[in-house]
Amino acid sequence: MSSLARSAPAARTTVRPGHRRPNLAPYLFLAPAVVFVVLTVVYPLVYNILQSFFDVGLREVVQGGASWVGLDNYRDQLGRSEFWHAVVVSLVYSIGTVVIAFAVGLGLALLFHREFPGRNLLRALLLLAWILPTVVSANVWRWLLDGSYGLLNAALSGLGLLDRDLFWLGEPNPALLAVIVATAWSFAPFAMILLAAGLQSISPTYYEAARIDGASAWQQFRSLTFPLLRPVSLTVTLLIFIFTFKTFDTIFLMTGGGPGNATETLPVYAYNEAFEFSRFDTAAVATTVLMVISIALALVYFRALRSEEGA
Amino acid sequence: MIRTRTHVGSRAAVGGLISMLAISLTGCGALGGESGSSSSDGTVTVWQYYGDEQMPTGKPLYDALEAYDAENDDVKVKIRFIPFEDFNRTLQQGAAAGESPDVALINAFDTQQMADAGVIEDISDKVEEWGEKDAYYPTSWETTQVGGKTYGIPHVADDYALYYNKDVFEAAGVQPPATWDEMESTAATLAKEVKYGLAVSGREGAEGATGILLRQLAAGGDLKTFGDGTGAAALESYKRMVDNGGLSKGFLTWLEDDAKTHFAGGDAAMMINSATYVNILRDEVPDLNWDVAPLPKDEVSKSFLSAENLTIGAGSGDPDAAWDLIAHLQEPSVLEEYLPARNKLPARDDVPKAVEDPIRKTFADQLENAWAPEGDVATHSNESLTAIQEALQATISGGSSPADAAKAAQAKIDGALGS
Repeated sequence: MSSLARSAPAARTTVRPGHRRPNLAPYLFLAPAVVFVVLTVVYPLVYNILQSFFDVGLREVVQGGASWVGLDNYRDQLGRSEFWHAVVVSLVYSIGTVVIAFAVGLGLALLFHREFPGRNLLRALLLLAWILPTVVSANVWRWLLDGSYGLLNAALSGLGLLDRDLFWLGEPNPALLAVIVATAWSFAPFAMILLAAGLQSISPTYYEAARIDGASAWQQFRSLTFPLLRPVSLTVTLLIFIFTFKTFDTIFLMTGGGPGNATETLPVYAYNEAFEFSRFDTAAVATTVLMVISIALALVYFRALRSEEGA
Repeated sequence: MIRTRTHVGSRAAVGGLISMLAISLTGCGALGGESGSSSSDGTVTVWQYYGDEQMPTGKPLYDALEAYDAENDDVKVKIRFIPFEDFNRTLQQGAAAGESPDVALINAFDTQQMADAGVIEDISDKVEEWGEKDAYYPTSWETTQVGGKTYGIPHVADDYALYYNKDVFEAAGVQPPATWDEMESTAATLAKEVKYGLAVSGREGAEGATGILLRQLAAGGDLKTFGDGTGAAALESYKRMVDNGGLSKGFLTWLEDDAKTHFAGGDAAMMINSATYVNILRDEVPDLNWDVAPLPKDEVSKSFLSAENLTIGAGSGDPDAAWDLIAHLQEPSVLEEYLPARNKLPARDDVPKAVEDPIRKTFADQLENAWAPEGDVATHSNESLTAIQEALQATISGGSSPADAAKAAQAKIDGALGS
């Protein structure tokens, strides 16, 4: 809010001399955006946080009259192993996705940094993974991973690596791995684009100098590319982390949070609390915790970015 | 925190904004407020989750309501289709905003929850006057009762039975299993002929609890008593079927529709599913040679009910018109045409023509003593079913013993019922 207000140009546009009304025009132009943000972001956010301090079941949603219970909902949730399980699964899922998407994205960015025939076509094709609607990609992954007719098992048994039907989405650890890989697959092109832009911005003169000094390709990568890419890398990892951390659709469509609750991340947990079990108050606790963690990370990120820029 | 110089003015604005929000929050929605009501204008709105006009699951209802509309000049019926997964939420939000439908076709097990929340109206007086209560099967009728009052009328009924592929059975030289012990050995024998002996849904969530609940009902228990031995017996039975190859571990990733796909494709020799799929199989795979048998027995033989109730939305502007439409849909002459087209069973015993088809009769016969959750168990059935599916998952994956898994599920169910 304060940053919004500060971004309003404070500069006074030229007015006729002798005419000293404060200039309201910039604020008028800002008003629609402010109103829009307040209605679509701030209001639901505050509503959700408030709801976590009330006792809200189905009856209260329909008829109103919820009573204030202070921190009771937080006490209830923070004392539940299911809740902490969801937090841990969320972290494993997000960190796993970030690591894989970043590694693959960096590899692809380096690859496309070179000239070779068909480069642009290939890059455009890769972007499909990022553009594809989740409903499509999640279901494609479900088919690929199916134990009885899935492509993955057919390939693995063809290579002699698998001698039985492995139901990837029916067993806890393989299912978690599967949703991580599926999510990373769609984020890798996104990482690639940003990292490729970062590579473009590194001056080739550095590499020329390094080559004259006889640095190997690996040394060049380690001492030049990697450190110079750090600001972009920070942005990429944080953005992917926050996107993944609040991802609901991929997991919901692929496993529904199962098997057991092996892939039940906080967003899925919150969905079940609210819409399967009609406990809107504890669902609000879960989404509030989700938001607090994301905001904390964003703050860490801005701080890191500033120290990068200051360095 | 980021150190920035904030204008005092904008800080005050934020403070003002938040207090404004807080005031407006307590003025409407869950944290306070009241709901309005719709008005009467000769239009009767019907909300349902069956399907739209083009879908085989939706069309019969549209046809029936159009006929009613045509017969009554003073009434205009407006139907709204809301997909199942969004239906309850939409209905609740509608009630909160004072925009309830006149008629809501809801899942029977949600009746108590909706009544408690004030989403649907008490129609005891109308039902009393109507006087057709005794035509209904007790299990179906029971779902409409909340605290001694009537909140709906059963619309249709459905339950589960055993579909089997006659050609595969003949090739394997087996008969449809009459007991669950026979089911275990028969499934293993059939799995030598085709890919899967038995197909049943077992995926995460309430739908995946179908198979394990039916097995536990047969063992003489129900949702409230999952931890007392019947649950463990049911879990052990499924574990044996997975171990002997009659049931693929993959069933933990299947929904009811997936089970149907494997059966229709000839990969599964048997499936446990509802009557919903009778017409679908006839349409999709007319050459498939199949039949239906009652569910196998253990201590008892029991299927469980899946059903919808017709209810009147809270604050309906025209409850009398809504009631007239509901009563019309329940006339035996209307049901005789509607039920076979909709592929469902009657919830009342005076519609013989609707179950002339021998396959549908097998389903209908089991309705007589089908199980349905009642009271608080119904209100929390989603959570309880999710809990027993988790027990199934934990048992099959070897995460815990059947006895421990059953106890853990019981603890979750008790927690849900106590909340």
